[in-house]
Amino acid sequence: MSSQIASTPSQVALRPGKRAVPKHIRNEMIGSWLFVLPMLTLTLMFSIYPIFRSLQITMYNWYGFGQPDQYVGLRHFQSVLTDKWFWNAFGNTLQYAVVLVPIQLTLALILALILTNPRMRFTSFYRTVYFMPVVTSVAIVAIVVRMMLQRAATPLSEMAGTNINPLGPDFAMWSVIGFGMWHSFGYNLVYFMAALATVPEELYDAAKVDGANWFQRLYYVTLPGIRPVATIILFFAILGSMQVFEQSFALTGGGPYFASEVVSGYIYRYVFGSGGVAAQGGTTVNLGYASAASFIMNILILSITLGQLLITRQRNRN
Amino acid sequence: MTAIAQRDPRRSTDFMFAPLLSGSGKLLLHLALLAIGLAYIFPFIWMAGSALKTNSEFFSAGINPFPAAPQWNNFLIAWNEASFSRYMFNTVFTTVVTTLLVIWFTSMAGYALGKLHMPGKKYLLVAIGVLFFLPAGYTIIPVIEIVRTLGLMNTYWAVIITATAGGMLFNTFLFTGYMRTIPNELEEAAVIDGATLWQRYLFIILPLARPMVATVGLFTFMSNWNSFFGPLVFTLGAPELRTLAVGMFAFVGATSRDWPLLCMGATISIVPIVAVYIFLQRYFIEAFAGAVKS
Repeated sequence: MSSQIASTPSQVALRPGKRAVPKHIRNEMIGSWLFVLPMLTLTLMFSIYPIFRSLQITMYNWYGFGQPDQYVGLRHFQSVLTDKWFWNAFGNTLQYAVVLVPIQLTLALILALILTNPRMRFTSFYRTVYFMPVVTSVAIVAIVVRMMLQRAATPLSEMAGTNINPLGPDFAMWSVIGFGMWHSFGYNLVYFMAALATVPEELYDAAKVDGANWFQRLYYVTLPGIRPVATIILFFAILGSMQVFEQSFALTGGGPYFASEVVSGYIYRYVFGSGGVAAQGGTTVNLGYASAASFIMNILILSITLGQLLITRQRNRN
Repeated sequence: MTAIAQRDPRRSTDFMFAPLLSGSGKLLLHLALLAIGLAYIFPFIWMAGSALKTNSEFFSAGINPFPAAPQWNNFLIAWNEASFSRYMFNTVFTTVVTTLLVIWFTSMAGYALGKLHMPGKKYLLVAIGVLFFLPAGYTIIPVIEIVRTLGLMNTYWAVIITATAGGMLFNTFLFTGYMRTIPNELEEAAVIDGATLWQRYLFIILPLARPMVATVGLFTFMSNWNSFFGPLVFTLGAPELRTLAVGMFAFVGATSRDWPLLCMGATISIVPIVAVYIFLQRYFIEAFAGAVKS
């Protein structure tokens, strides 16, 4: 075992007989489990048990009171998979991830390169500014931005010469994407700055001696150097954007008429009957159906995650 | 982090954007970064400015952030009549208690998993690693069920206990890694002196783990100050327990005509965390940068 306290020579010599285990080691063996007990209990209760319980709930009609006792088998899964509004929400979620991730990561990398340039000044000031949205509440800021976009509709329309409503059916989803990109940009900026700091300077010096210009140094030294960390950044960015919720819920309420509804918002509607700032009521609560939708979304996300893991493995092997 | 800030300027190579970084090009780059930066924090400026507008000015001013005559009274109305003082207390209380519990539980678990002689440790670590990859976001229904069964619905504890549970895996993982880097000598001496496990944890390990305590504390504080969904769900039937984010959301429904007050509510909610951030920004950024590295 890795506890070095046990491995002083005299104690190791005492090991063979079971009785010879020193008292403080015995204490550790019991005490360590007591030390993980709170963490373990909470995780079992609120993370592990819920996974199995929601799997069970998927097979019932459950309108939110009493116990789930109306067994329907796998019918909810079929209904979710054939509901065009589920796929509408999934499409919006996918659009969010597919548009946001590449643009945000590229911009974050460029800014990180500028800000880690040793000749650059005031870098911590810029970093403070661009990181700031990250520390603020998505829900609250989304409500503010919603008000601001409503105020901006008229000036925007005048500028463009046509009627532009950032919260209207044509633009709502793009506003959600733009808002999400703005809000979480700072994470990736800081991650990339940390990654860039790990590239050994000697490599740059060597490349310079070899006469590499700045682009060649970027392409042959910097990018390969940050690839392991960049893979993790990409991983988190995709996972995070597939779980988008408050950005849509508090900015557009998923509206107008579900134009910017994401999967989490879709599930929310079936749990609580209505959703979002614009509060589209009239959904019949069915926790069994909502659980089935959650389960399907979990599988979809998990397969994206696994797919990414496989691709990374494959690449590393080559 | 220090590596970012203190690259030796003489040794350093002008490896990136060297073409841009000479004379007037450099000035242009700074001007661009400043202009974009200003646009970047514009929503916050607009929010704070609009919080001091009259209702009619709010509608006539478009996106001009500056109020003609600041209505400081808006603050008093939001603070007292719109219950933001109450929301502030609720947020501070639940956030502080959650943060302390998360630090306590995960540092203990990290100590056991990282340093102690623990039977079955390997399996537990693997289990934590696997759970990490499961998207946990959509299990709210059983969680509500448990909270109801425990009789905690519409209490502070519903918010606190679920938020604490949510912070367990990741922070245990961070602490486990950190504990491994703490040398054993001090503890060995303590063992000889007959210190109990609890004393070793409290008086030796925890002080040595201060940097990670700060990181985990900052993470947890920030994410819980800003958390919305948990407090929303668990206080649906108890308006007096609403946190700032939930209070804002309810306020949108209740007084959707009094927009400057909404902006004031948002400002009241956001200023404390931004102040903490600016004050401790180095630690914030270190915490995030450290997390991705580990």
